[in-house]
Amino acid sequence: MKIDIDHLCKLSRLSIAEEKRELFAKQMSDIVEMASKLPPMKDDISFLDENNPMELREDVIMPSLQRDVLLSVAPDTQAGCVVVPKIIEREE
Amino acid sequence: MELFEKTAQELSLLMEKKEIKAEELALSVSKRMEQTKDIINDYITANSEEELLLQARLVDEKRERGEKLSPLSGIPVGIKDNICQKGTVTSCASKMLENFVSPYDATVISKLRENDVIFTGKLNMDEFAMGSTCETSYFKKTKNPRNLEYCPGGSSGGSAASVAAGSSVVALGSDTGGSIRCPAAWTGIVGLKPTYGAVSRYGVVAFASSLDQIGPFGRCVDDVALLYNAIAGKDKMDATSINFNHPDYRSFKGQSIKGMKIGVPYEFFGEGLDEGVRSRIEDAKKLLTSLGACPVPISLPSCSYALSAYYIISSAEASSNLSRFDGIRYGHRAENTKDLTDLYVKSRSEGFGDEVKRRIMLGTFVLSAGFSDEYYSSAKKLQAVIKNEFKEVFNSCDLILTPTSPFTAFKLGQNSKDPVANYLADVCTVPVNIAGLPAISIPCGTVENNLPVGFQLIAPSFGEDRLFKSAYAYENAFGGFLGTAKL
Repeated sequence: MKIDIDHLCKLSRLSIAEEKRELFAKQMSDIVEMASKLPPMKDDISFLDENNPMELREDVIMPSLQRDVLLSVAPDTQAGCVVVPKIIEREE
Repeated sequence: MELFEKTAQELSLLMEKKEIKAEELALSVSKRMEQTKDIINDYITANSEEELLLQARLVDEKRERGEKLSPLSGIPVGIKDNICQKGTVTSCASKMLENFVSPYDATVISKLRENDVIFTGKLNMDEFAMGSTCETSYFKKTKNPRNLEYCPGGSSGGSAASVAAGSSVVALGSDTGGSIRCPAAWTGIVGLKPTYGAVSRYGVVAFASSLDQIGPFGRCVDDVALLYNAIAGKDKMDATSINFNHPDYRSFKGQSIKGMKIGVPYEFFGEGLDEGVRSRIEDAKKLLTSLGACPVPISLPSCSYALSAYYIISSAEASSNLSRFDGIRYGHRAENTKDLTDLYVKSRSEGFGDEVKRRIMLGTFVLSAGFSDEYYSSAKKLQAVIKNEFKEVFNSCDLILTPTSPFTAFKLGQNSKDPVANYLADVCTVPVNIAGLPAISIPCGTVENNLPVGFQLIAPSFGEDRLFKSAYAYENAFGGFLGTAKL
């Protein structure tokens, strides 16, 4: 199967260097071919594990990590906030 | 024999009897770490001799004061570098997290702290645990201490290589599709993938959350049981962890396996199984039979498709889990970007290696419009079918025996351009993760080039007691395993 690398890159917010694109396309095609070896499955099979429902813990307020500790791992911070590029354009 | 060559249970006894101090052991392991680092490239972050001694002295002081100590106290433990440990870099062997200093402890780390272990450092792995050779690490390629021309297996290759070489006494790894069992088999040590939900995943960097489990490595069965005793249990921080009354797994030492029915699924012994591996596995089966176990032929037909289902489900979850790495709150951020999307794309493209990109793209593909029914939904249905097949089969046997991997270790660089060839190393281990079951890899000898072979025993959910009972019995009859590699 031919894989649309550009489309997958766009969806996954990745880019592949020009010199690697050909090899990447071939590898992705091999991988998808391997993953395609599934038998036909009946429609009525449920994949929810009803015997083991997930038990959520009570929603109670507890001490958590402090803001300054978490900010210490951020790449760029200012005045207790994470700095990001401008995301709203000014209307001309 | 040097102290670093001894097993955790021997060392624990020596410390308890005050024949050695934790400090002497820490020094021995630290010196060994110094020797192994340039030969096998095992650690990403190795703690200094001073750091090891500092931790050891605290244990010695506690012992001097007569405090009640755990059998793990003073034992040097290595940690796979995808498990968060407060104040240390948790890189996942990725440029993305190269400078990420974890602000908190994973639950398994907190438990080990309560047991007063000595943390030796963070061990190399495939990037984000994606790989079967430990070669996708951004930092270094770990070598197999049994034969330096070969890889140690992956993804927890650093953990396995370190334990086999004696630069840690025991270690933690994680297993999503075989990442503990494959390197355990290829380096000639014991590795346990626990039942899904038996060990808290809080603080392990998520790859495929419905399949990931943390588990122990050791050079003997007792060491694996010792470490597993310390980490198993329900944790309120992981909603998928399960309440279970765990026994003391060391209590199964010396028990008989007479009458135990061991299922042998023929699908795992077909084409593609290396003849040397086949012969060692047959020997293991004979030895278990001589101990009174009864081999029973069984069939798990859908397991032939497990590899496809595994790569679909794990990559789908990975594409979602790894979307958090966007260069904003932590991890690598690209410079000179023109807007937010550009920052996302550049940070991710610079931060992730090729294998991680391939998995994210596969996951994105199988979840994308027009393909998700054909791939993801089918794989999830197949997962339900495989779970049922195991359940049925366990009506007629107590355990299942298979090879851990159809091959012995790959040569370094052997499949560098062919990812699918590497994926085949997982063919015997992924069904276990798909079904959420526990399994142990046990060494059963070596073949040409001193390459170790391991066999896998699989139990029903929370049947780790059966795994340990048979592993102890096998180890005793086999006469012990390979011990520490000579370098």
